[in-house]
Amino acid sequence: MRHAWHITAKELLQNRRDGLAALFTLVLPVIFTVFLGIIFGGIESSTLPLAIADADGSAAAQQLVQQLEESPLLELEVAEPGDIDKDVRDQKVAGGLVIPAGFGAALDEGRPISLTYIRVETSSGAQSVWQAVEVVVSRSNARLLAARAAAEQVSIKTGRPLDDALLASAASVTDAQLAAPAITVEMTDSGSSSATMAAGFDQSSSGSMVNWVLFSLLGIAAGVVWERRRGLLQRLSIAGVKGREIVGGKMLAMVIITFLQQLLLVLVGQLVFGVDYFNSPLALLLTMVSLSMLAASFGLLISAVFRSEQAVIATTVISAQLLAALGGAWFPLEITGASFSRAAHFLPSAWVMDSLHGIILRDWGLTRVLYPMGIVWIWIAALFVLAVWRFRPD
Amino acid sequence: MEAIVVEGLRKQFDPPKGPVAVDTVSFQIGEGEIFSLLGPNGAGKTTTISILSCLLRPDGGDARVGGFSVTREPEKVKALIGVVPQDIALYEDMSGRENLLFWGRMYGMSGAALNKRVDEVLELIGLVDRQKDRVDKYSGGMKRRVNIGAALLHNPRFLYFDEPTVGIDPQSRRSILDGVKDLNASGVTVLYTTHYMEEAQELSHRIGIMDKGAMIATGTQDELVRLVGERTRIDLTLDREAETLAARWRELPGVSSVSAPDDGSMWLSVQDANVLMPKLFDGARAVGARIIEISLAEPNLEMVFLHLTGRALRD
Repeated sequence: MRHAWHITAKELLQNRRDGLAALFTLVLPVIFTVFLGIIFGGIESSTLPLAIADADGSAAAQQLVQQLEESPLLELEVAEPGDIDKDVRDQKVAGGLVIPAGFGAALDEGRPISLTYIRVETSSGAQSVWQAVEVVVSRSNARLLAARAAAEQVSIKTGRPLDDALLASAASVTDAQLAAPAITVEMTDSGSSSATMAAGFDQSSSGSMVNWVLFSLLGIAAGVVWERRRGLLQRLSIAGVKGREIVGGKMLAMVIITFLQQLLLVLVGQLVFGVDYFNSPLALLLTMVSLSMLAASFGLLISAVFRSEQAVIATTVISAQLLAALGGAWFPLEITGASFSRAAHFLPSAWVMDSLHGIILRDWGLTRVLYPMGIVWIWIAALFVLAVWRFRPD
Repeated sequence: MEAIVVEGLRKQFDPPKGPVAVDTVSFQIGEGEIFSLLGPNGAGKTTTISILSCLLRPDGGDARVGGFSVTREPEKVKALIGVVPQDIALYEDMSGRENLLFWGRMYGMSGAALNKRVDEVLELIGLVDRQKDRVDKYSGGMKRRVNIGAALLHNPRFLYFDEPTVGIDPQSRRSILDGVKDLNASGVTVLYTTHYMEEAQELSHRIGIMDKGAMIATGTQDELVRLVGERTRIDLTLDREAETLAARWRELPGVSSVSAPDDGSMWLSVQDANVLMPKLFDGARAVGARIIEISLAEPNLEMVFLHLTGRALRD
């Protein structure tokens, strides 16, 4: 395999001298990452906007509003009752909630009362907001029922009248109990899905990285086709260099180049945008190497299958963009729904994005990324074997 | 002693309906010879060289290079040969020296021996002064010389040149032809393909003439010219194109063949020029044309090709 090392060294020398390659490999990816990061930087969390109209204004209504504000999934926007329907219809908000007049009085008297939730039926965000509101309302119901039950028991046992003071005292005890509930649920992530969705720089930085490394398919494949057309691959073959040595040498060079490209983007992401890439350096290293190997092997397969530059350019551009977009590099797969996400995970890029998001957002370590990277390496092995099998110097 | 023996080579692209590029070709090349494959474009010369370089596998037949079979022992054959391709197969963003170092490494050379050999080759191709310049800064002739140099690094016993002078200036062509002769004088056996008759005549000990995938004649230049017989070649130029004249002259007794490109020049292979020349003038006058230049020449390879195929090499 000594030929392969010399081919790698030659490729690196040529790339070092190619100003256009430096532009596409290093400069443009950084500019795009910064640009997209700034654009999407404002969408910093996964909260969904809920318009709320308080037609009651009682202490109970205000307490409900405060509880809704504490929900990590909701971002409240105060609205007039008459405007909510239009705001929801125009999709300025994911849903609207109206607290009717008499809300506080009904609660004081122990009468049931309904809130009005307004949504666009087809909106997936509206469903998420509805669930978040349900959680808050259920919690309020539980608190009120527990407080009232406790106050009634005290009243029966002690003969103390069931007045506001007793109810307030019971509510206070209930609040304390609910602050440290007897049963809690701890969530752990399984597979690719997670409650934590990448946004802002977390998404733009990792997405740009995958996107640009996949874009390097073009350089890899076009380079091989150019060498074939110039008779350089034939000359290598006549010199006794094996196809697997040519493919291996070129692959190693592209892995090194795209790894350096990723390293630069990681450093920019970490140091400039505060993306937590270095939660697990080993997991990150494995993911980066895997992504580079994936792009190089795929590019070489395309160059082995197609002969003309036009065919190679068209195939690489379409493949790279599809892999990037469907794999979640352009937008987080979490916003697409379960079916799309499942389908996307037929692609290796989706597993790479999972791994990067896992490292950035969920503190995934080396062992945690082994599964997604194992799938990516199955792809790499298959692509490399096919590339060597199909490789022809002429 | 035969250094290269080709027996019944056959190659068809995209069988069964594709063109037969090489059709049962056989020839031998002696040790230390320059053997030229002469023929027009599409004759099968490059395909033959590709098979002898172990780049293409023949559909039939075999060839032995230095005693090794191109089909069964390609790695041993590759170690013996150097190939100068028709195209400039170099990395243009690397210097001449860097290219030679790279190709030397591909031939398994390294270290001081490689550097010494690269120095020798640079001296041989006359590029010592420009060795550190990038190849894309070289003239076409200089690129051709590096292209040849890259095939010489491992001191091959056999050198194949595939139309190395296509598209270059006369000075560079002269340099390449002299270089081929020098290499041959140093003991290298040369297989040279060309569609330029003059190159084949100047360089070759023996020549194989190919047409439409077949080897139609082999021999020394004298042996091939004898195929034409006791004929003379008449070159002439008319004052205008006269399409009907070629057909009229072909009918004349003693005219073996007539070549008539579109540029007003013609040449004929005839048995007795003294008898025929007045008839040629009469024929021209009859169609309203005038012969403005006429000369006699000994038969050459062009005439041989015409005699064997009925077409000129450049047709």
